[in-house]
Amino acid sequence: MLMAGMPLWAHHSFSAEFDSNRPIKLRGTVTQWELVNPHSWIHIDVKNEDGTVTNWMIEGGSPNALLRLGFTRNSLPAGTEIVVEGYQGKDHGSIAVGKNITFPDGKRMFLGGSANEPEADKK
Amino acid sequence: MAHRLLGSTAIALTTLITLCAQTSTPWTPSRLPDGHPDLQGYWTNSTETPLERPKGLGAQEFYTDAELAALIKKDQDRVTLNKDEGRPTEPGTTADVHYDYTQYGLDRGQAKLSWNRRTSLIVGEQGTLPPMLPEARKRNAEIAAKNRGRGLDGPEDLSLSSRCIVVAQESVPLLSGGYNNNIQIVQGDGVVAIMSEMNHSVRIVPMDGRPHLPAEVRQFRGDSIGHWEGDTLVVDSTNFSARNPFQGSGDKLHVVERFTRADADTILYRFTVEDPETWDRPWTAETAWSKVDGPIFEYACHEGNYSLRNTLQGARVAEKEAAEKKAGK
Repeated sequence: MLMAGMPLWAHHSFSAEFDSNRPIKLRGTVTQWELVNPHSWIHIDVKNEDGTVTNWMIEGGSPNALLRLGFTRNSLPAGTEIVVEGYQGKDHGSIAVGKNITFPDGKRMFLGGSANEPEADKK
Repeated sequence: MAHRLLGSTAIALTTLITLCAQTSTPWTPSRLPDGHPDLQGYWTNSTETPLERPKGLGAQEFYTDAELAALIKKDQDRVTLNKDEGRPTEPGTTADVHYDYTQYGLDRGQAKLSWNRRTSLIVGEQGTLPPMLPEARKRNAEIAAKNRGRGLDGPEDLSLSSRCIVVAQESVPLLSGGYNNNIQIVQGDGVVAIMSEMNHSVRIVPMDGRPHLPAEVRQFRGDSIGHWEGDTLVVDSTNFSARNPFQGSGDKLHVVERFTRADADTILYRFTVEDPETWDRPWTAETAWSKVDGPIFEYACHEGNYSLRNTLQGARVAEKEAAEKKAGK
């Protein structure tokens, strides 16, 4: 593959912030979307099995990257129901990084948050 | 998107073949009132070409048309496959965490010249970095050893890029990374400004013939001064800080960048790097920038840099868990 040796710049070391052994899939309702740099953050209320609700904070890509991927500032109004696939934070709390989100109509969008380890990109 | 990628590839091929063969009829750039070519506008330096030539290609500097077409097809097949599957990587692998590779491809693929016939950005028979001098290897090994001993005790243990201080894409020379590979050039009276979207930094290049800053002044992105050689903008940079090395360079790094308008949509970007304390000879690389739509978006990296907090918090939890495990809890 041509990408061999391509130094993909990793802004943050994924492995320092998130746990690749803890993949997660969360269904929740957007409470807030922080469209900030260097990474955006989606806050969602997730209903737990015991009926309680946990507010999760999900990392996504930079606003620049998201805009170019087709998001607009109106893409995630509060109340939007989404499913997020990603990985839990190393503190094992309610912080995670999102790989992608799926909307109720089935539309799935990439969420490009903090970069993974450069080694992983050497195909 | 796959269709769009293919469409842009065709343009890339035509243009790059022209560039590489250097047989094109001279293209006349539009000029500013001072008579110099107009380099202004928004550009991307996204490329699929690696800096160093992949192993096994030997002295082959360019792919043949057939080889390039096969590579593009292979990549295209992969993108199409991934797009259909919606999940391009193996769950639980580092590659899956969490950048979707197709999207990276997509990002690069948006550049008209993301593919070209070059097998490596580094030009010449070698196509790789020159061997590093023994003293440079020693220096870099010492730095690496020092870094290995670093924990995650506080924010300053994290890299300059994690702390939003300086990142590779905005450094000199200008090479692309995963995303935000956008650059704006503005030519003013006696200065040229080069803005990198990544980390939102502007390099102001004086064109008035002034010398470099005094040698004791060291900057992460060096000190740049420029002049014109015919229709080529030449930017000479020294005064680098070894704290922001380029490919293992030290503070004697010297970079000469050459910007030439190749056609209406292209800047040919060529740079030569030397550092007598790192490599025994200079080396040169070349890539093509293609025109993109503006604007450049702000990248205020410090704004919401929660990642530092999360990283340090994660390290504290890991320490606590390890201590509890040790104590047999």
